Amino acid sequence: MKFENIGGMKMEVKKIAVLGAGIMGHGIAQVCAQAGYQVNLRDTKDEFVEAGISKIRKFLGGSVERQKMTQAEADVILGRIKGMTDLKEAVKDVDIVIEAIVEDINIKKEVYKELDQICHPDTIFASNTSAQSITEMAMATKQPDKFIGMHWFNPPQLMRGIEVITHDKTSKETLDIMVGLCKKLGKEPGICKDSPGFIVNRLIQIWYNEGLNMFDEGIAEPQDIDTALKVAYNFRMGPFELRDMVGLDVALASTGTQYRELMREQFRPPRCLIMKVKAGDLGRKTGRGFYAYKSEG
Amino acid sequence: MKIRAINIIGEGELATKLKELVSKADFKVIASEFTGDYARQAADVDLVLEVAPEDIAVKKKVFKSCDAKCGKETILATTTANPWVTQLAKATKRQEKVIGLNFTKNPFEEKYLVQIVRGLQTSDETIQAVKEFLGKVGVTAVKLEENPGFILDRVIASIVNEAAVMYSSKLATKEDIDSMMKVCVNWPMGPFEFADTIGVDKVVEILESMSQQLGPRYQPCFLLRKMVDAGWLGKKTGRGFYVYS
Repeated sequence: MKFENIGGMKMEVKKIAVLGAGIMGHGIAQVCAQAGYQVNLRDTKDEFVEAGISKIRKFLGGSVERQKMTQAEADVILGRIKGMTDLKEAVKDVDIVIEAIVEDINIKKEVYKELDQICHPDTIFASNTSAQSITEMAMATKQPDKFIGMHWFNPPQLMRGIEVITHDKTSKETLDIMVGLCKKLGKEPGICKDSPGFIVNRLIQIWYNEGLNMFDEGIAEPQDIDTALKVAYNFRMGPFELRDMVGLDVALASTGTQYRELMREQFRPPRCLIMKVKAGDLGRKTGRGFYAYKSEG
Repeated sequence: MKIRAINIIGEGELATKLKELVSKADFKVIASEFTGDYARQAADVDLVLEVAPEDIAVKKKVFKSCDAKCGKETILATTTANPWVTQLAKATKRQEKVIGLNFTKNPFEEKYLVQIVRGLQTSDETIQAVKEFLGKVGVTAVKLEENPGFILDRVIASIVNEAAVMYSSKLATKEDIDSMMKVCVNWPMGPFEFADTIGVDKVVEILESMSQQLGPRYQPCFLLRKMVDAGWLGKKTGRGFYVYS
């Protein structure tokens, strides 16, 4: 653990552990390594770790092909990432643990309890959750002041924004370190207090629901609603197109979660979404959602 | 029914723009001031496009006068952003030929989106005729049943309202809310930038109209009302959520 005495005790982040080598985890590890950090990428099985690292290798290979970097640079970045399955080994001398494991509050709390036992007491815990309560996870540790949310967007290598989520006990120092880290990673942090959906998922939920509700109310067709928002205001996709892309089952699950937590009418899952899911029309992946898609074959 | 000659009744930026737009498409265009003898000038056209001030009494008067002077087949269209098509139709003797054509200017580029608003009485033929007309003008149009906020205002006012709730409850700063929506999900503007562009007073008006019709979930956040009271209406007054020089 390195400290710098600039304006009080200030930790300098040198080494990062990323837990979970899945869609988000491997991308997060890559971004950290590209910014110069040593990264331990940990998952529960060798095959998961290897799959994550091979995705990073592929991504960097693409960058070399497009002449965004040299092979030597790509090798240096890969060299900064150590894959492993041993949790103790992964977190023993890191300054920050970024947790990107499965979105299950009980599994996450178990992991944090374990981390609490094996990490250096100064280690900051950052959870890449989009749906779980930062406060609840923080309270599962002995040092909630060092607990913070770090919500990345998919794909982490390309999306520039990170929501930094604080709870009542997050210290100013932890927040400062996290904001500094985001900037060093070349990302734009937005700070939000722990609350359902944080900033982005809460607001986009309203945008989705108003669109879908208008269809339910017989006011307009999906295509008219999508077209209006794209042509008048340059939204890249309309709410129906985006729902179809993400998958209507995923959409219904996240809408339901927000509705239960915020308990306000504007978050209630629209009828058309419920019916589409019941009918098995889940969007692009099934060939039909709000729109029909041509099958690949 | 084919639209060949149009009378645009009204003054101001939108009326001027519409004249330009329609003239380019090779229609016969008559421009009238809504204070002048517009009804007589409208007598021989196929479509009247009313761009009078947003005042239901003024618009009703325009519709009544045109109804009295225009040929039986003439379509009367209002550009209103309010759900007034049905009641404007009622003021005429050609209820099925009254329709809403609301033009929204894209804030980033020189183009318009038209919301074709169908009143209770509007006929399919009327809709078909204006669709053909708009196609020739070369603007994108969408169709909806008359309802408060149409499509665009309903969505935008709703996101502004929720963002205002989040900001006034101090979950995040307005700058962070705006920037996250842009960098995390590619929104063209953040909700507060939308509010300042459209006008905070207009957002409150839309929300009030929606909350009357659609329920209390659309009630404007008190912060928005205070901003209207303070005259912080957005870009047009130099101050809204942000300060403009």
